[in-house]
Amino acid sequence: MLTAEEMQILATSLGVAGRAVLFSLPVAIAFAWALSRPKFPGKWIVDAVAHLPLVLPPVLVGYFLLLLFGVRGPVGSWLRDAFGIQLAFTAEGAALATAVMAFPLMVRAIRLSFEATDRGLFEAAAVLRAGPWDRFWSMALPLAWPGVLAGAVTAFAAGLGEFGAVITFASNVEGQTQTLPLAIYSALQVPNGEETALRLAAISMTAAVTGLVLAELLQHWARRRLEA
Amino acid sequence: MSLKLREAVVRRGAFRLSADFETPTDGVTVVFGPSGAGKSMLLSSIAGLHRLETGRVEFNGRVLEDAGARSRIAAHARGIGLVFQDARLFPHRTVRGNIEYAERRRPAARNAPIVVEIARRLEIEELLNRPVRNLSGGERSRVALARAIVSAPELLLLDEPFAALDGRRRRAFLTLLRELSREQSLPMMIVTHQVDEVAEVADNVVAVTAGRVVGHGAASDVMRRAEFAALLDRRDLGARVDAGAVAGGHGGGGVWIRADSVLLAAEEPRGISARNVWRGTIASIVREIDGAVLVSLATEAGYISARITPEALADLQLEEGATAWAVVKSHAL
Repeated sequence: MLTAEEMQILATSLGVAGRAVLFSLPVAIAFAWALSRPKFPGKWIVDAVAHLPLVLPPVLVGYFLLLLFGVRGPVGSWLRDAFGIQLAFTAEGAALATAVMAFPLMVRAIRLSFEATDRGLFEAAAVLRAGPWDRFWSMALPLAWPGVLAGAVTAFAAGLGEFGAVITFASNVEGQTQTLPLAIYSALQVPNGEETALRLAAISMTAAVTGLVLAELLQHWARRRLEA
Repeated sequence: MSLKLREAVVRRGAFRLSADFETPTDGVTVVFGPSGAGKSMLLSSIAGLHRLETGRVEFNGRVLEDAGARSRIAAHARGIGLVFQDARLFPHRTVRGNIEYAERRRPAARNAPIVVEIARRLEIEELLNRPVRNLSGGERSRVALARAIVSAPELLLLDEPFAALDGRRRRAFLTLLRELSREQSLPMMIVTHQVDEVAEVADNVVAVTAGRVVGHGAASDVMRRAEFAALLDRRDLGARVDAGAVAGGHGGGGVWIRADSVLLAAEEPRGISARNVWRGTIASIVREIDGAVLVSLATEAGYISARITPEALADLQLEEGATAWAVVKSHAL
């Protein structure tokens, strides 16, 4: 059904989006938790940081990443010297760019889930001797879990289609950083590439829709679980 | 051994609760008052869920909170349990999971009943493996109680724990609460707005109205005071009598005898079916707004009030200092 080349592109896409979600999920949970708390000083800064990638042009995000994590960037040069890790123009870099772009989506979904949790349950846990940290792990997270999962799936589906930030920061290297949208873009650059582009587009659509449906099912499950 | 609130003030929005009282922490203390009086807030404050604006809370000599000294022990470290009116079961856990949540966090040094044992006493054994979603109101409150008892707190606060149960079942569980309190040496503080329940389970009473504590002390004493009577509905006016003094009175501390269910006789009644007849001296005669007359009789069982019509008062020629008999049907208790 799929050609070896298409399989390769799909695998790159799934790998990039998968890693992006995996590594940004804990950070997104922390941000979402903080934002779901009642007012605290500096909350608006946290809120702004979490939403920045949503309003910035993706190319700009990729450029910022390049400045920061590029081989000559402050973080990039340190990573290379200390660990021999290079992010720019690699699959890991593509994952980083995707993670940054999908971050606001994840934070939003998870935050809603935290906010939907009945605060009274935390009080009930507190009078059973559960401290704040304990309450987070035993109450907040399990109760928000379906929302967390839904956020991750949405971010994953969106991550499959990330273009601007990835091409700027990780470039379009076949077999390495060439994800589905990048491959479609390349196909459109060559004469008679429409057929290839259409096939890739179909794959991309299928993956995205599957993700959306999955996320919707999870949200549904989440609501049912919370109305006890 | 006592729970002490000293000039404690808690504020939530426009509502302000002030409390200054001390109650012994053996047996059962009932917090009584009309709805909206601040009873739940009082419990939450003792449990550490609301911050004191001023004042202090002390439990058995340990300062739990002192607003003046800015010291405060967090709710989870107080060792005070609270059964909420709405049960607050954890929806992501089964009934057993809910109870085990408490068991797992109980300090090793405190012993408490085994889960199955307490489940059997509270008649929720069959429910243990069920999700909490489908439980009835009465079942939920019993699971919440089991959870709280398994947590082995040093003081258990209960906010109208059996509001979801019908009268008969509620009585049975109140009696069970008293038993559990004694067996586990677990002091309890129970909120209710039913005067019968106060008489039945309270060793001590804290009377609350409009955000203020207006009386506290032994049930037999507080329930006789005017401040307490002022909290009652007219229909509920009456007197507390020790359960031991009453035929047909069931276990526990006392019985509330409503003035409306008492007959007065000017001569010793003979050949009647009523099981409770007390001889006494008329201590006071008070005319109520609508003309009805409230007669208070000092008997060996304590004061008993009877509400009679002005015509009856005239017929019987009752006056203060005279001897009269109070008659109460056992079924009225």
